[in-house]
Amino acid sequence: MAEIIVKFEDKIIERVVTEKKRISIGRTNENDIVLENRGVSRKHAMIEFNNNAAIIMDNESLNGTFVNQRKISEEVLRNEDTITIGKYTMIYHTETSASDDGAADMDGTMVLNTKKQKNLLENDRVERQIVAKFGGSVLTGEENADFAEYRLDREVTTIGKAKFVHVRAKGFFMSGIQAKIVRENNGFYLANLGKSGKTKVNGESIDRAILKNGDLIQVGKSTYKFVEGEK
Amino acid sequence: MRIAIISDIHGNLEALQAVLKEIENQKVDRVNCLGDVIGYGCNPVACLDLVNQHCSAKLMGNHEYAAIGLLPLEAMNLAAQQSIQWTIAQLKDRELAMIADFEMKTEDAGSLMVHASPEEPDEWHYVLSQQEAIKGFAHLDQKLAFHGHTHLPLIFCQAPNGNVRTIVGHDFDPDEESSYLINVGSVGQPRDNDPRASFVVYDVGEMSISYHRVEYDFKITQAKMCKADMPSMLIDRLEVGR
Repeated sequence: MAEIIVKFEDKIIERVVTEKKRISIGRTNENDIVLENRGVSRKHAMIEFNNNAAIIMDNESLNGTFVNQRKISEEVLRNEDTITIGKYTMIYHTETSASDDGAADMDGTMVLNTKKQKNLLENDRVERQIVAKFGGSVLTGEENADFAEYRLDREVTTIGKAKFVHVRAKGFFMSGIQAKIVRENNGFYLANLGKSGKTKVNGESIDRAILKNGDLIQVGKSTYKFVEGEK
Repeated sequence: MRIAIISDIHGNLEALQAVLKEIENQKVDRVNCLGDVIGYGCNPVACLDLVNQHCSAKLMGNHEYAAIGLLPLEAMNLAAQQSIQWTIAQLKDRELAMIADFEMKTEDAGSLMVHASPEEPDEWHYVLSQQEAIKGFAHLDQKLAFHGHTHLPLIFCQAPNGNVRTIVGHDFDPDEESSYLINVGSVGQPRDNDPRASFVVYDVGEMSISYHRVEYDFKITQAKMCKADMPSMLIDRLEVGR
């Protein structure tokens, strides 16, 4: 019997053992595995069990489904594969690890109210409040930012070290206008304009990237989080 | 100290080369460029390289702003749109990064330098009337400002009582009481019925302004533009300067 261990930031929060042919994963309550987080779509993904194989399918989710850190649309799961959706990770086991040790483990890890967990949920709640207040998408200042929140209310928002840009980043080794955030098709993309390698999303240098909720944008020494508004 | 000020080159390599050669004769300490290095003409990359090589201050023009996607193309007239789209296709990451370092305005030797108007530099106001000039002066902390954008070498002079006069660009010595908004004209696409490339030298020690016009072989520029299938209006105007 297959088993899926659901973790939120390294804390096991659920163990799902199922005999179903198909289980759904998403944000709303009608799913078999409910992942409550803004980065998760309502009906995000699906796992089908067929004979001894398990196939995970992304349901054209906004922020994607990842297996072992690789974005997938459809993928056969192997034992111990790590599935990442939003801030959640899930470990797939072909067989139930229902030993006494495992059970004891579960008892120990089912406690959700750790300080870290609370902080994470609190951050998520604050982000939701920010977005609810404004309606649209915002940047929140994470590191070396001169604002707590910046509303993305124009078509193009410039980021860089020049005096005239909308968002002034810290750091010397970047261009006057290092990057721009452009509204497009109901969403936003980030494009590098200045020196190459100085605009990063989640730690990786980009030329152009569609922004997803929770993405960390790094320009020079400053870091901002993209918090997506209601669509 | 002498500062040469050039503006609105618009991808016209022949005009820029001629102007830089004349600037050499002028024995200046530095050259400042007030923007619109690209757009209209066929040598945006070569012009960006020359500006980068020769100019101390490099300012943003509306064509640069459009090229890096900060100004919607619909905000420009059709010929400008067509040429800026052609221009964008010529620009690589290297040139975009060069443009991304252009400043919106700068101060040099007690004067302000800006592409369009001291009032909201990134709104690209056209200072063609006394009303627009008065708004510009209202945002000017210095006695002197140099700008471009309209391609017309005009001088707006504000007397201490606030009155503004418009004067056709000519050599003069600013007086201490008045404020001046000095349009240096265009290197690559003059529009004052004089096809010769225009630039200004500001002699800080002598406190004098001189206008310079330079002939260049616009036939070469026109031939390149024909080959690139640029709108004929843009090609024809180089010959007559309007």
